[in-house]
Amino acid sequence: MANGRRPARRAVAGLLLALLCPRPSAADAMADVLKEGKLRWGADQEGGGPYVFPRDDDPGVVTGFEVDLAARLGEYLKVRPEFTQAQWDKLPDMLRTSKVDVVINGYELTPERAETMEPTVPYYVYALQLMARKDDAAIASWEDLKKPRNGEKLRIGVLTGSAAEAYTTAFCGDLCVAVPYDGNTDSMREVETRKLHATVQDTPIASFYAPRFPQLKAVGDPVERGYYVMYVRKGEAALLRAVNEAIILMGRNGDLERVYRRYGIWDAQQAELASIGESGRFFGYANAVAAKVEKNVMPEEETVQSGARKRGWAVVAEYGSMLVKSAGLTVVLSFLSFPLAVLLGLLIAVGRLYGPGWVRVPLAGYVEFLRGTPLMLQLYFVFFFLPEVGIVIPAFWTGVLGLAINYSAYESEIYRAGLQAIPGGQMEAALSLGMSRTLALRRIVVPQAFRIVIPPVVNDFIALFKDTSVCSVVTLVELTKRFSVLSMSTQATIEMMAMTALLYLAMSYPMSLAAQRVEKKLGLEARA
Amino acid sequence: MITVKDLVKRHGANEILRGISLEVKRGDVDAVIGPSGGGKSTFLRCVNGLEPFQGGKVRVGDLVLTPKTSPRADAKLLEGVRRKVGFVFQQFNLFPHLTVLENLIEAPTQVLRKPREEAVEQAKKLLDRVGLMSRVDARPRDLSGGQQQRVAIARALVMQPEAILFDEPTSALDPVMAGEVLSLMADLARDGQTMIVVTHSMSFARSVATNVHVFAGGLDVESGPPEKVFGNPVHETTRAFLKQAA
Repeated sequence: MANGRRPARRAVAGLLLALLCPRPSAADAMADVLKEGKLRWGADQEGGGPYVFPRDDDPGVVTGFEVDLAARLGEYLKVRPEFTQAQWDKLPDMLRTSKVDVVINGYELTPERAETMEPTVPYYVYALQLMARKDDAAIASWEDLKKPRNGEKLRIGVLTGSAAEAYTTAFCGDLCVAVPYDGNTDSMREVETRKLHATVQDTPIASFYAPRFPQLKAVGDPVERGYYVMYVRKGEAALLRAVNEAIILMGRNGDLERVYRRYGIWDAQQAELASIGESGRFFGYANAVAAKVEKNVMPEEETVQSGARKRGWAVVAEYGSMLVKSAGLTVVLSFLSFPLAVLLGLLIAVGRLYGPGWVRVPLAGYVEFLRGTPLMLQLYFVFFFLPEVGIVIPAFWTGVLGLAINYSAYESEIYRAGLQAIPGGQMEAALSLGMSRTLALRRIVVPQAFRIVIPPVVNDFIALFKDTSVCSVVTLVELTKRFSVLSMSTQATIEMMAMTALLYLAMSYPMSLAAQRVEKKLGLEARA
Repeated sequence: MITVKDLVKRHGANEILRGISLEVKRGDVDAVIGPSGGGKSTFLRCVNGLEPFQGGKVRVGDLVLTPKTSPRADAKLLEGVRRKVGFVFQQFNLFPHLTVLENLIEAPTQVLRKPREEAVEQAKKLLDRVGLMSRVDARPRDLSGGQQQRVAIARALVMQPEAILFDEPTSALDPVMAGEVLSLMADLARDGQTMIVVTHSMSFARSVATNVHVFAGGLDVESGPPEKVFGNPVHETTRAFLKQAA
């Protein structure tokens, strides 16, 4: 579907998976869902329209055809659907670690995914749509892509790692170039501005965003049909059957058609949904056909359209408060994790300098390991793999602890340098007054080292401040993630970017100033 | 009060102390003189356990340091020794992040757990005695070298040690400031303070010390009352050193 998939990350994740051999969960998710009275469904609102995206009038709430599907699904199962935000490529991990019960986010049916997750009946038939500029008569079919223009190969924008990229790359061969983009609609904009010749999109995106890009036309018929399915955890037979029943009933009752028409993504291909359901190949079909069919009991709803692209500072006025709110999470994460990092770092540095040998070696290992591996992987590990051994830490505390532990390695090295800069005579003078080593460190050496390390420590605080953005990997929507979500849904990227940068700066600059004052006050005293 | 027996200190193959024995009685002032590299400072640092040693033993009151004394495992023993013997360094080693007064009350409040008011009162008395009452709230960096060393002496005194070890206390000072410090030390000696003083000041050793020890090549080559060591040196090394020092 419509989201940035990063092959490198997936490769690393796959490696971790292979190393750790996660066991499938044995619990009965359906029983839990009924007991809790809620169905937690996972999706990434950064994916954009028409799947799951922030509402125009209330960006704190998500909308989209999958939100509507989840709502109907909840009605069929008689439970409350609960949206759970997660990074798109991490959704399988969310499922595996029972952080969600079902994934509904434009996940295609593929043999690889079916091996690790349980796919449901398809709820949408998508295909790939070729799009080009209306005034570009030279592109009237797929074959036209293979004709170079002015000696140059044509450039076709696709979503990184998507089915569209795979198909286009294979189709082009040596004759045209597939240019990967991370964003959903980035390449549509690039075609409009003539930086690309054409783009290939999943049909829901092409249909939904057509009004926003009036200069584009659909070229030829959609190709490479595929299916969006929901996924539940492997082995969850009861939940799988219940969801299958619900999807089949949604098709028979006309719910699917109504939802898709609402978003302007109903097309002829969807007729196939019925025949797939009716063919009875799917688990839960028997129950579904036995159920009473109530056609057209839902009230008609207004259509949701992408609308024109929003521009200008009005966008900032409208969405600014959302960004500010998310900046709050950034602040809380930083201010909780950094003091912890400093304290841990200090203990590590003292242990490495003054501790016995059996403490020094493991501490050196700790520092090297944490410095030498990416924060993103560490968070990923804590959030998605510790649950395998029964350690479940909520997302927020995973973020706080992950940042604290990662930064403690850096802080410890700063402190080590600071402690080593204090002349040995200070420790000796303290000892000769009858102080214990611990007391001498606490009262004499560390306070002096602290004054020396203020500038690098503040430097790290500001770095950590911005590194909180990595926490989006564990489902936290902090400032950077909110920026991505909003810029994707509004297309006002520049305005959002300026606002986001301004917010970061407005938060970090006062810290620099405060640090300078502290430094001035304490730094002078340190000089003997 | 302090008894040292056959003290041996090595750095690898390098023998710094080669069997030093001496005894300091309560109220004695023992001056240690001799050429550079003779092991004078190392000897002093062994006495209060700042340096481990490889042979012999050091007895301070009823506490005994041996080559087996470990800085970690025997921390309590070492702290006990250091509460009995104060130490004054050549480089003063005042705590730069604390004021003069705070330098003095740090150990009494943190180590002896004295109430702050009591520690402050005692510290002020001592500052008065060393002539620095007016600099109570100064930072060490704002003091002259001689003033810093007098604060350092007061800092040692505030712990009411049974003995004080001075490691070349005037070597980093110009003659005027050295004079201030030496006269303070002579003052303390008159009041019966037990001291071991490593010094290059022959006049101090001559006029204040009870006993003088000449260290050379890791040995106490000659010792005795100052009139004997200075007036009638027996050992060749002593003669050569005194001649050079004069």
